Amino acid sequence: MTASICLQNLTVNFDDRFKLSEIDWSITSDQHWVITGTNGAGKSALGAVLAGAGEIESGTLSGVPGKVGLVSFEAQAELIAQELKKDDADIMDVIAEGTPVREMIFNDCADPDLASELVEKFGLTGLLDRAFRKLSTGETRKMMLIRALSSKPDLLILDEPFDGLDANTLVMLQEHLAAIVDDVPMILVLNRFDEMPAFITHVAYVDKGRLSHTVDRQDETAFNELYQLLHLKTTDLDVPEADPASKLPDLDPAQPLVKLKNIRVKYGDDVIIDGLDWTIERGQHWQLSGPNGSGKTCLLSLITGDHPQCYVNDIFVFGFQRGNGESIWQIKQFIGYVSTALQWEYRVSTSCKNVIISGFYDSIGMYTKSTDKQKEIADQWLALLGMSDRADQPFNKLSYGDQRLLLIARAMVKHPPLLILDEPCLGLDDMNRQLVLALIEKICEAKNTTVLYVNHHAEDQIAGIENFLALSKAG
Amino acid sequence: MANYFNTLPLREQLEQLGKCRFMALSEFADGVEALKGKKMVVIGCGAQGLNQGLNLRDSGLDVSYALRPEAIEQKRQSWKNATENGFTVGTYEELIPTADVVLNLTPDKQHTSVVNAVMPLMKEGACLSYSHGFNIVEEGMKIRDDLTVIMVAPKCPGSEVRAEYVRGFGVPTLIAVHEDNDPKGEGLALAKAYAVGTGGHKAGVLMSSFIAEVKSDLMGEQTILCGMLQTGSILCFDKMIEEGIDAGYASKLIQYGWETITEALKYGGVTNMLDRLSNPAKIKAFDLAEELKQIMRPLYNKHQDDIIDGTFSRVMMEDWANDDKNLLQWRADTAETNFEKTPAGDVEISEQEYFDNGILMVAMVKAGVELAFETMTAAGIIAESAYYESLHETPLIANTIARKKLYEMNATISDTAEYGCYLYNHACVPLLGDFMKGIKSDVIGKGLSVEDNGVDNARLIEVNAALRSHPVEAVGSVLRGHMADMKKIV
Repeated sequence: MTASICLQNLTVNFDDRFKLSEIDWSITSDQHWVITGTNGAGKSALGAVLAGAGEIESGTLSGVPGKVGLVSFEAQAELIAQELKKDDADIMDVIAEGTPVREMIFNDCADPDLASELVEKFGLTGLLDRAFRKLSTGETRKMMLIRALSSKPDLLILDEPFDGLDANTLVMLQEHLAAIVDDVPMILVLNRFDEMPAFITHVAYVDKGRLSHTVDRQDETAFNELYQLLHLKTTDLDVPEADPASKLPDLDPAQPLVKLKNIRVKYGDDVIIDGLDWTIERGQHWQLSGPNGSGKTCLLSLITGDHPQCYVNDIFVFGFQRGNGESIWQIKQFIGYVSTALQWEYRVSTSCKNVIISGFYDSIGMYTKSTDKQKEIADQWLALLGMSDRADQPFNKLSYGDQRLLLIARAMVKHPPLLILDEPCLGLDDMNRQLVLALIEKICEAKNTTVLYVNHHAEDQIAGIENFLALSKAG
Repeated sequence: MANYFNTLPLREQLEQLGKCRFMALSEFADGVEALKGKKMVVIGCGAQGLNQGLNLRDSGLDVSYALRPEAIEQKRQSWKNATENGFTVGTYEELIPTADVVLNLTPDKQHTSVVNAVMPLMKEGACLSYSHGFNIVEEGMKIRDDLTVIMVAPKCPGSEVRAEYVRGFGVPTLIAVHEDNDPKGEGLALAKAYAVGTGGHKAGVLMSSFIAEVKSDLMGEQTILCGMLQTGSILCFDKMIEEGIDAGYASKLIQYGWETITEALKYGGVTNMLDRLSNPAKIKAFDLAEELKQIMRPLYNKHQDDIIDGTFSRVMMEDWANDDKNLLQWRADTAETNFEKTPAGDVEISEQEYFDNGILMVAMVKAGVELAFETMTAAGIIAESAYYESLHETPLIANTIARKKLYEMNATISDTAEYGCYLYNHACVPLLGDFMKGIKSDVIGKGLSVEDNGVDNARLIEVNAALRSHPVEAVGSVLRGHMADMKKIV
C-alpha cells in the first residue's frame, strides 16, 4: 500500500447549505472507490471535498495529492459561471463569442496527444472551434471529461460520469477508465450500482451527510446488503397490489380496528398488565414502547389472538368481540405481523417465494397450492426487495436481515388493515436496520395500512407515526 | 369387564382391524359446524388435554375443563394449566351435566375410574370422546347406550399438536366411531368437526376403528418407537465404550444421533435415511439391517400376537393393580444404565458425522421400522395406519431422547407405551447378544475406514432397489405429500 488520503473526524460546511459531518475515511492509492447514497445524502459533497470544496469546520484532511481531476455538475456549473463572468467583465461593446472549446481543452494540457485522441473518441472534433458556452450540457460534460483525463491527475474524481452519455460513448469511457486504473486512483460518485465498473474495489455509502458504511467489494455479503439498501432507497417501485381473489371481508369504517378495555393479564400472582384501555382507530399509526417485561409483546398477542388470556378480557378486534365463537384465523386475516419470535419459529425448509405467499394463508410454511396470481405478486415483492434472484433459494439459508425483509413482505402481501411490527430491527446490524426501516417507510407511505410499531430504539423512528403508548412495569 | 376385541367373532375382528381410509380434504368442508355452540368439557389438563383444548377454542369452540376437586383445591398443575390459559374450570358435578361433548384426555390407566365417574353425570344423548381406545377395546368398558362414543387421536405429542396448529397446520389424526355407541348416527360428523378444530384435517385424517387404532398404536410404541430406541441406545453405548471410544462422544452420538438420522427418515423415508450414507456404508447398513430383521422378527411377531390376543394388556393391567411395581422398577433400572448416566461430551459432531459414525443406529432404525410395519400389516392392519404407527412417529420420539435421553422419552410417552418399551427392551437386549459380539467401532463410533469409496455396481443397484421398493416407502411417499413444508429440527 502507498500513501493514503486520510479524513479524520472531518466536518465540512458548504455555505451553510449543507454539512458533511464527522467523516472518517482513508483511501490508499491502489484503491478505486464508488461513493453512493440517495439523492441529497451528500455523496457529491464528499467527492468535492477531496478536490478542495467546502470549508473545514473541524477534523483533518490530509494526503490529498497536488493534482486532482474533478468532473461534476457543480464543477461544470462553476466553469460556466466563470465563463459568463469573463463575459460580464468585458468592457468592449461587442458581442463576445467566449472561449472556444479548443482553448478550453488544449491550454495548459498535460497530455495533448491523449486529449486529441479523446476529442476524436468523444466526437467533439467538429465542435473545437465553437464557443464553450454554446455547447449543450452533454457536450460540456464530455469536454470536462477530456480535460480531466488528459490533465495527468494524481487523483480522479468523477461525479456521475456516465449520466447522459449515449451507449457507445459510455462503453468507450468505461474502457478508457479500465485502461488507466494502474496509473491513477479513481473515485466515482454513482447513484446506480449497476453502472459500477469492474475495477472498483470499495464502496462508500453516504447517508444524511455522514459516511455510514464503507464496504470492501470482496466482502460479498456486505456488498449485496448495500446493493439492496440502495435499491430500496432509490427505486421508485410501488408496493405490489393485493390479490383480488383473496379479498378480505369489509370492515365497518365507523368502528375502530382494535378496542381493548380494562385489560388485565397475570401469570399466577404476577400481574403483567393491569387495567389498560387502548383504542386503535383506522389510519392511526402507533408506536408502542416500554422496558423489557412491561408487557409489550403480551399486549400485541392479545390483539393477534395468540395470548390465551384474550378470552378472558374485553377485546374487540376487526368487528369481533372475542370469545363469541370466532376462530383465530378470522382475526389473523386482518393482521400482518413481524417479530423476532416469528423469525425463530419460521424454521421451515421452504423457498423465499413461498415464504411471501404464506402470508396469504397466515401460515408458517405452505400446506396448500398457491395460485398463479399469488406467485406473480410474490415475484413483484421479491423485485421490490431486490431479491428476485433468490426466489427459489431456501429461506433458512438467507442472512438474518434478508429473512426479516421477506417476513415484512409476507406480512404486507395481503394488504392487512393492521400491520404489527414488533421490534422489527432487533438483532440486525446497522445496514440491515436501515434496510428494514427503508422498507417500512415505503409501506407506510404507500398503502392504507395502519401501522403498530414496537421499538425501544428511539433513533429508529418512522415518519408518519404520531401516536405513542408507553408501557411501564406493572407493580 | 372383558376384553372387547376378544368378544367379537373373527369376521368382525378382521373387519375392524382392517378399517382405515385416508380421507379427502373435501370431506371436511363443513369445518367445525357440527360442534359450533356445543359445550365441550375436557377431562384432564396434561399435554394432550391442554393443547387440544387451546386449538379447539381458537377454532371458535366452547371449551372448559372438569378436574377432580383435589386438583382444584390444591391448585395442582392441571388446574394451573387450565386457569392460566383463561379457561373455565369446574368439578365433574359442575360441568359434566352441561356438556354436549366430554373429551376424555386422561392417561389410559385412569380411564376406567374417570369414565365410571363421568358417565352417570352426562346428559342424555351427549358424546364421549377418547384420544386412545384402550379403555374400550382392551378393558371392555361399556358406555351407556344413549351416548355417542368417538375417538380423535392426533398422532403427535400434545406440544406438537399445538405448535402445528399455531403455524396454520395440524398433525396427522386418526378418527373413529365406536359402532356399538352411535345411537343418532352423528358420531362421524362430530369426529370430523373435532379433527378440524384441532387442525388435523390439514395434515391428513385416517378414518379408522377403535380396534385398529389400539392394536396398531400399542405395537408401534413398544417396538420401533420406544423399545428399539431404548435397546439401541444401551447396546450402542456399551459397544462404543468396549471399543475404547470416548464416553462423552459416545453419549452425544447416541443422544442426538437418533434425532438427526430420523430427521432424514421424516423427510424421505428409509430410502433417504440410507441415502445419507456413503455407498460402502449404505451397503453395510443394509446388510446389518437384514441380519437384525432376521434375528428380531420372532420378537416383533410375539409382541403383535400378545397385543392382538390381549395378553399384553392383561399383564400390564395386573401391574396397574399391583401399584405399578414392575413399571417403577424398570424405570429405576433404566436410570442406572451407563448411557443414561454418562453426560454428552462437549464435542462438536457435524450433522453428516451422525450418519457416518452411526451406521449401526441407521440399520437399527431401518430394521425396526420395516419389521413393525411388516408385522402390523401381516396382522391385518392397513398400510396407512401401520405407517403412522411406525415410521411417522419415530422422529417424534427421537426428539425426546435428544432433549433428556431415555428418561425424557419415557416421561413423555404414556405409561402404557413405557411399559411396553421395557418389555421389548428386556427381550431384545439378550436376543441381540451374539449379533453385538461381531460389531466393531467401524459401524458405531468411528465410521468405515475404507481406502476408497468404491462399491460393486450390481450390489449397489440391488440395495437401492430393495430400499425403494419396500411397501413402507410407497405408502410413506403418498402420506408425506400431505405434510409439505415440515419444520426443521436441527
